[in-house]
Amino acid sequence: MKKYLFKRILFSIFALFVVTGTVMVLVYSLLDESMILANDDGYKKAKDNEKVVYRYRRYKEYGYIDYTDFSTWMIENKEQGTESYDNSLIAVQTPDETLTYPEDANCQEFVLTFQKAGYNVEWYQPITNRRGVTTSKGYLVATRDINLFVRLMNYFGNMFSFDTIWSVKDESLPMEERYIRWEWDPYSNMPALVGNGTTHRYLIYFDNQFPFVHQNIFTINLGKSRDYSDRDTVDVIMSRTGNAITEETILPKDIYSENPEKVESNLDFHTVTYSSSITSYTAETYGEGNHYINAERKLDGFTRIGNSFVIGIMATVGAYIIGMPIGIWMARKKDKLPDKIGTAYIVFIISVPSLAYIFMFAALGVNLFGLPYKWALATLPALAFVLPTISLALPSIGGLMRWIRRYMIDQENADYVKFARSQGLTEKEIFTKHIFRNAMIYIVHSIPIDILGCLTGAIITERIYGVPGIGGLLTNAINSYDNGVIIASTVFYTAISIIALLLGDLLLAKYDPRVSFTNERG
Amino acid sequence: MEQFERIPLDLEKIKTQEEDDLFYFVDQSNVSSERITAPRYSYWRSVFRIFFSKKLNIIFLSILVLVVAMAFIFPAIFPYDKFAHNTEGIANLSPAELINRFGFSFEWILGTGQFGDSIFYGIWASARISLSLSLICALINMSIGILIGAVWGYNKAVDSVLNVVYNIIANVPYILMISVLVYVIGSGFGSFVFALTITGWLGIAYFMRTQVLIIRDREYNLASKTLGTPMARIVTKNVLPYLTSVIVTLLASEIPHYISMEVFLTYIGVGLSAEVPSLGHMISDAQTSWMSYPWAFWSPVAISAIITVILYVVGQNLADASDPRSHMK
Repeated sequence: MKKYLFKRILFSIFALFVVTGTVMVLVYSLLDESMILANDDGYKKAKDNEKVVYRYRRYKEYGYIDYTDFSTWMIENKEQGTESYDNSLIAVQTPDETLTYPEDANCQEFVLTFQKAGYNVEWYQPITNRRGVTTSKGYLVATRDINLFVRLMNYFGNMFSFDTIWSVKDESLPMEERYIRWEWDPYSNMPALVGNGTTHRYLIYFDNQFPFVHQNIFTINLGKSRDYSDRDTVDVIMSRTGNAITEETILPKDIYSENPEKVESNLDFHTVTYSSSITSYTAETYGEGNHYINAERKLDGFTRIGNSFVIGIMATVGAYIIGMPIGIWMARKKDKLPDKIGTAYIVFIISVPSLAYIFMFAALGVNLFGLPYKWALATLPALAFVLPTISLALPSIGGLMRWIRRYMIDQENADYVKFARSQGLTEKEIFTKHIFRNAMIYIVHSIPIDILGCLTGAIITERIYGVPGIGGLLTNAINSYDNGVIIASTVFYTAISIIALLLGDLLLAKYDPRVSFTNERG
Repeated sequence: MEQFERIPLDLEKIKTQEEDDLFYFVDQSNVSSERITAPRYSYWRSVFRIFFSKKLNIIFLSILVLVVAMAFIFPAIFPYDKFAHNTEGIANLSPAELINRFGFSFEWILGTGQFGDSIFYGIWASARISLSLSLICALINMSIGILIGAVWGYNKAVDSVLNVVYNIIANVPYILMISVLVYVIGSGFGSFVFALTITGWLGIAYFMRTQVLIIRDREYNLASKTLGTPMARIVTKNVLPYLTSVIVTLLASEIPHYISMEVFLTYIGVGLSAEVPSLGHMISDAQTSWMSYPWAFWSPVAISAIITVILYVVGQNLADASDPRSHMK
C-alpha cells in the first residue's frame, strides 16, 4: 500500500506539472498578449517611448518576457559593486536625449552582455517636438522570450516561500539588527512571534478572527492578478470581504510607550509588511523610522474562499441529509408513487439547464418567502446564504437520489440478498445491514470530491446572487485575460481534484476491504 | 430421430369435457413438431413495439416532433432579425401591451426583448441553432468516443497510454479549454462545435472503455475467442449489441447536455458569438432584468427546459426499450 501511495503521489505531481504546462502553452502561446493591456489605464495614458517601455514592463510582470533596461542594469551593477559605476551615465540617461548609444562604453557593454545572453537589444530614440522640448526620453532595452520549460520551472520554484530574516534585501538594515523572537503583542494581549528583517512583522499571532491563530512564515505564491490590482492570487482568494470594522486600538508608534493613546481605527496592525520607502505620513501612524507599514483593513465577512466553502459545505451536507433518505425510500418503493415523483425531480434537474432552475427557485424564494436576492442587499448576513445554498443543494440532491436508488436496486437483485432473505432475515435487517452498506461503497468514493469541491466555488450560483466567492475567479480571469489568475486557478483546481480523488480511493479501500490497490488485476 | 409413442385419444370424452376443461390431449405429429412456431424476432421491431406500447412515449414523441419541426421550419418562413425593430421604441413590452398596440399577431404573443425583437420568433430561431449544435456535437463526440472507447477497452497497450492522457486532459478546466479555443479560432457556430468536440469525446470514450472492460472477459466472449471468431466479429456481434442500451442511455443525456452547456457557456461569456441567435444568448440577455421583464426571460428558459426534458425522457425510454431483457413479454 505504501509503495502504491508513493507511486500515486509521484504521478499526481507529474500530472500537476503537465496540466500546468498545458495551460501555460494555451495561455502564453495561443492567447494574444496585447489583451492584458486592453483595460490598462497606465498604458492608455503613456505616450511614445514610455508606452513601449510600459508595455515591456507589464509583459515582464506577467511573465511573458525577460526585460531589462539600461538604467535598471546600471543601478543593479552599482549595488553589487562588480562594475565601475559612472554617475554621469545614469544622469544622462534619465532626464533627456543625451544617452549616447552606441558610442558610450557602458552602453556597449550592456549591448554585448545581453546579446550574448540571447536578448534582443533595442534603442528607442528620444523624441523632441518642434519647439525643441524633449517629450519622450531615450531608452535602451533588452528583451528575451521566456522558454516554456524555464517558465514552468520558475513557477513551481517560486510556489512555496518562507519568510526569514534575510527576506528584506534593504542594505540600510544591517544583519545584526535582524531577529526573530517572541514578544508580548499589545493587540491581542498574547505572545506573538515577531521578526525584524522579515517581510511580515508578525509571523505568528493570535486574534479574535477565525481561525484565531495566524501565520505569515510560509506562503504559497501562485502568481499575480491584474484584475485585483496586482495582488497575489492567493491573497485575493484568502482576503476577507465585507464591511470594515472600526475598533478602539493603539497605533504601532505607541506600542512601546507607557501610556498608549487609544484611537478608533479599522486597520489590522498584525498585517504590516516591510517597505523600504517610508514618509512623514506613515510616521504619523507607524512611528518614526518604522519600516513595517501598510496594514490592511479589518473586515467583518468571510474570506472569498470562506464564502464559497460555507455555501458549498452547507449545500453538500444538506444534500446528503435530504438526498440519501429519499433515494433509499425510492428504492424501497420502486415503481410506486414516491419513486415516480422522485424520478420526475431527477429528470428535471438533470435535463433542465442549471441556469434555468436556479432562477426558478430564486423567483420562488424571493416572491414567496421574501428572501434577499442579492448578497449585498441582505439585512441579516445569515439570510444571504439561504438562496445560494438551496440553489447549490438542488442538483446534488438530485444526483444523490439518482445514484443511491440505482445502486440499491442493483444490490436488491444480487444473490447474497436472495440468500439472506431465504435465511429468514427481516427486510429491515437486509436493507440496513446488507443492501445499504454495499450501496454506500459507491457513495463513499465521492464524499471527498464533494467536500473538497466546495473549495472551488460555484460559477453560476455565485454570479447570480452576487456572492463574493471564488467561483467566478477562472471565468472572470478568462474574460479579462488575467493570465496569472487563469494559471493559478488551474493549479488550484487540479491540485484539489487530484487530492480529492486520492482521498476517495483511500476511503474506498478503508470502507470496502475487498478493494485493494496493491494487487492490480487487468 | 426418436419416434414418439402415439397415444390413442378418446374424442368423445374430450368433447364432453370441453366446456369446463381448458386442457386436452392432442395428437403428436412428427411433421408439425419439426416446424418452429416461435414468432420471428427482429431486434429493432421489438424495440419500437416496447417503446410505442407506452402512451406517454407517444405523447412526448409527438411534442418532440412538433418542437423540432417548429424549430427547423418556422425560422425559414419567418426569419428572425434581432435588430430589425431596434429603433421603433417597442423594447421589453409584454404581450398584452403589444397586442393592444398592433393587434393580434403571432409575432407578439410572447412579448419583445431588449431590442424590440419578437421573443416568439427568437425562441424558434434560437432553438434551431441550439438543437443543431447539440445534435452535431453529440453525433461527433459519440462516434469518436465509442470507436476509441472500444479500442481503449480492448487493447491493453492503448489502455495504459490513454489512461495517462485522460488523467491529464480531464484535469484541464473544460471552460478554460473551450474559451481559449473559442478565442483562437473564433466563436462562430463551426468553431464552437470544434471547441466542444476537441476534448468532449474523451469522457464518452472513458465511459465506453469501462463498459467494454466489464464484458470483455465474460465467458461467452472467451468461448467465442477460443472458437476462432475474429476480433471484428466479436466486437460487432457480441460486444456492441450488448452495449446498445448503454449507448442509447448515454445519447439520451448527451443531447440535452450540450443544450445546457451552450446556455451555461454563453451566460459566462465564452459561448457563441453574438450574431448567432441561441437560447443561451436570449437567456443571458434577459437575465439582468428577469424580475421586471419576465416574458423575455422565462420564454427561452421554458423552451430550453421543454426541449431538454423531452429529449431526455424520450431517450431514456428508448434506452429502456432497447434493452433486450425488456423484450421478453
